Formats: sequence, structure tokens, C-alpha cells
Amino acid sequence: MFDLSYFFGVFPVIASKLQVTLSLTLTAAIFSIVIGVIIAVIGYYKICFLYPITRFYLSILRGTPLVAQLYFFYYGLARVSEIVLNMKPLTAVALVLSLNTGAFMSESIRGGLLSVDSGQKEAAAMLGMSELQTIKRIVLPQAFRVSLPSLFNDLINLLKATSLAFMLGVRDIMGQAKSEGAQSFRYFEIYLAVMIIYWILVLGFSHFHKIMDRKCMDMY
Amino acid sequence: MIEIRDLRKSFDGRTDILKDINITIKKGEIVAILGSSGTGKSTLLRCLNYLTKPTNGSIRIGTTSIDAKKHTKKDIMELRSHSAMVFQNYNLFKNKTAMENIIEALICINKKSKKDAQRIGLQLLEKVGMLDRKDFYPSKLSGGQQQRIGIARALAVEPEVLLFDEPTSALDPELVGEVLSTIQKVAQEGATMVLVTHEIMFARKIATRILFMAEGTIVADGTPEEILDFPKDERLKRFLDYNVN
Repeated sequence: MFDLSYFFGVFPVIASKLQVTLSLTLTAAIFSIVIGVIIAVIGYYKICFLYPITRFYLSILRGTPLVAQLYFFYYGLARVSEIVLNMKPLTAVALVLSLNTGAFMSESIRGGLLSVDSGQKEAAAMLGMSELQTIKRIVLPQAFRVSLPSLFNDLINLLKATSLAFMLGVRDIMGQAKSEGAQSFRYFEIYLAVMIIYWILVLGFSHFHKIMDRKCMDMY
Repeated sequence: MIEIRDLRKSFDGRTDILKDINITIKKGEIVAILGSSGTGKSTLLRCLNYLTKPTNGSIRIGTTSIDAKKHTKKDIMELRSHSAMVFQNYNLFKNKTAMENIIEALICINKKSKKDAQRIGLQLLEKVGMLDRKDFYPSKLSGGQQQRIGIARALAVEPEVLLFDEPTSALDPELVGEVLSTIQKVAQEGATMVLVTHEIMFARKIATRILFMAEGTIVADGTPEEILDFPKDERLKRFLDYNVN
């Protein structure tokens, strides 16, 4: 039944693609936070013509399945765009994941922005600080702290979502497992290894979150 | 120093919170604004730095004059550069220490180096008696301590006019004293101050002039003696009867 020696043999083979999964997660995480902050700030100030555009963007990205977005972008848009046609699968996945997670993160950050009381903004205004200075130096740092739990939630979802990259032929952890399975048919051992690897990664993220949370609590 | 002409404020377009206010305040005057709740005292004060935008009228502080009907964002910024405000709820920046709260504007607006700003910060901390709490975050300070930092933050920008919006109303009774004595100390240095307060005894002690407001207008204007010892207006008499006796 369960082939222990095969399991221990295939585990490092699959885990060797850890770097692909992690770098994909990290790249997408950085871009999603940037997208998230920009969209959240636009939503916070309800900036005239940008606001409806971001609402439409959020509605689409949150209202359709990620797999559909990946296929639409990589296979669909490739029919009309030269750039997408020549794009590496890894780049395409990173891009779609950033756009998707950015949409979710923006709502997490917007919640944090709204939690900062207006009195502090009045104090900044009375001192003569511009709105940009106020949001950068006063509002966003506090908003991040409040948003931390939901941002980590988004991050964990992102990590797991990178496993869809294999659908575009990327050899990440999931992609490697798939190709191993195609050769040996030992799906039980292979996907158990996959489950364990992702699970450990998520545990690591959660631990990191706890440390950051405690650090924030000590501060103010 | 301050000139308010035909100031009117309405939040909903129907009822006027402020009705045709005209005041001139000279340099060095310490003006206390008294009155029952909801008579427009805080609204009037907040109009002075446009945290509340008036509906009508003009305001001049120092060299900047601004009209409610036509002004730019830059005009508002310029108006604000002449004054600084101390709030009822302190409104300290929660992500900054006592020191950082005080020097924020110096670094951000006056573009001072961190070293210069901190030197000024230390002087101000000493003035408000908070030197030993300089690295504390607001959440670790009592209300009275927070308000003293609020005062130091306002002083840091060297404003021509200091605005106090009920600075002791949110404090526990035993903490009021430390804040009032800090304000008194500032007053003795010759600052121009406008102070909305419920502390009538304190107003008598430090103010050079008292305005009494009722229903959005100034119904009495005079020295503390004129207002508190020889009140003429009926509403003022009732207010004093109720609040002093």
C-alpha cells in the first residue's frame, strides 16, 4: 500500500521546487501590497474618476474564479495581445496572482484605514501637513497594524493559490508533483508530500505573523 | 491679529450654528469663550483654522485673509500656518512617541534636521514637565500627560495664535490641574490665545477678555470682571448662576 521508501525518495524531489513556489509567492505578495495600498487609498479618499474604476476592478477580480482569470489572461488575451503571447508562464501567473491578491488586500487595508480616528487627521491638518504626508506618516502605519491579521490571511491564500501555476505549465511544487505522478502513479505518497510541504509553509507564515503581532503590541 | 467678519456657519443649510460673528482680537490677548453646550463655541474656534469651513464671511489671522466663498487649498494651508490647536481629545498621533509627536511638524513642514528638531523637542518637553516620558507612546500616558504633549506639539510650530478647544473636558477631575497650570505657564509668556472652556474660574484667572456665546452669537464681550462680576445679559446671568453657584 503506502510505500515509505518511495515517499522519502519523492519528498525531496518535490521539495526541491520550494524555491519556485516561494519566489512566486514573495513576488506576487510585494506587488499585491503595492496594488492594495494604491486601491485602498483611492477608495479611502473616493478620488473622483479613479474610484469607479477601482470598484469595477475589484468587482471583476473578486467576482470570478482565479483559474478562469489565469486562463482568460494567458490563453484568452494571448489571442489579441502580442505581449501576453510572448510572456513566460511564470510571469503571467505572478501578474494574475498580484492583480487578484491585490484586490483582496486593498479591502483589508481599507478596513485598517477606516479604523484610524479622524481626530488624528485633524491634528495633522492643523499642523499644516498635506494629505499625502498625513496618510504616509500617520494613517497608513496604523492601518497596517490593524490590517495585519487579514493581510496574513490574504498572504496564506496567495501561497496556496500559487499551486495553480502548474495549469500553465510552471514547475512549482504542484507541477513537480504532477509530473512525478504521471511517471509512477504513486499519487498517495506524492500528494501527501505536497500537502505536508504547503502545510509547513503556512505554519511558518502563521508563526511569522505571531511574532510581528507581538512586536506591534509592544510598540503602542 | 485676528479679524472675523460676518462669519456664518450652517451644517445643513437651514439652521445657523454661527450667525454673523464679528470679532477683532489683538496681539497678546487671551480670549476665553464661554457658553452652554451647543452654542457654537467650538465651531467658531474650528473655523479659525478651517477644520470647519464657514458658510459665509472672512477670517484674517496675521497676514493671511481668507473668504469662505472663494479660497484655494493653499489659502487654507497658509491660514493654518499662523495658528496651532489643542484638542479636547488630545488627538495625538498614536504611532508616534511623545517626542515624535512634538517634532513631527518640525520635520515634515519646517524641514528641520532631526537633531535640531529634537533639541527643540527637549526644550518643549521640559516646559510641559514631560521630559521623563519622551519615549512613551500616547497609549502609555494618562490623559493629563497626553494633553501636555498636545500643548507642546502646538507650541513646536511657534504659532502666532494658540487655539484651545475645551482642553480639559475629557480629563478626570484630578488631572485637570496639571493641564491648566501648563496652559497658564504658556499664557504668561505673552502668547495670543483663544480658549474655549467650561472652567470659569480658570478663565477669570488667565483671560484678558471673555466672550459669552448663546445660540450662535456673541451676546457679551468684555473683561473678566465685566462679564463675571457685573453680567448684564439675562442668558449670561442664568449661565453664571448655574455654573458658579
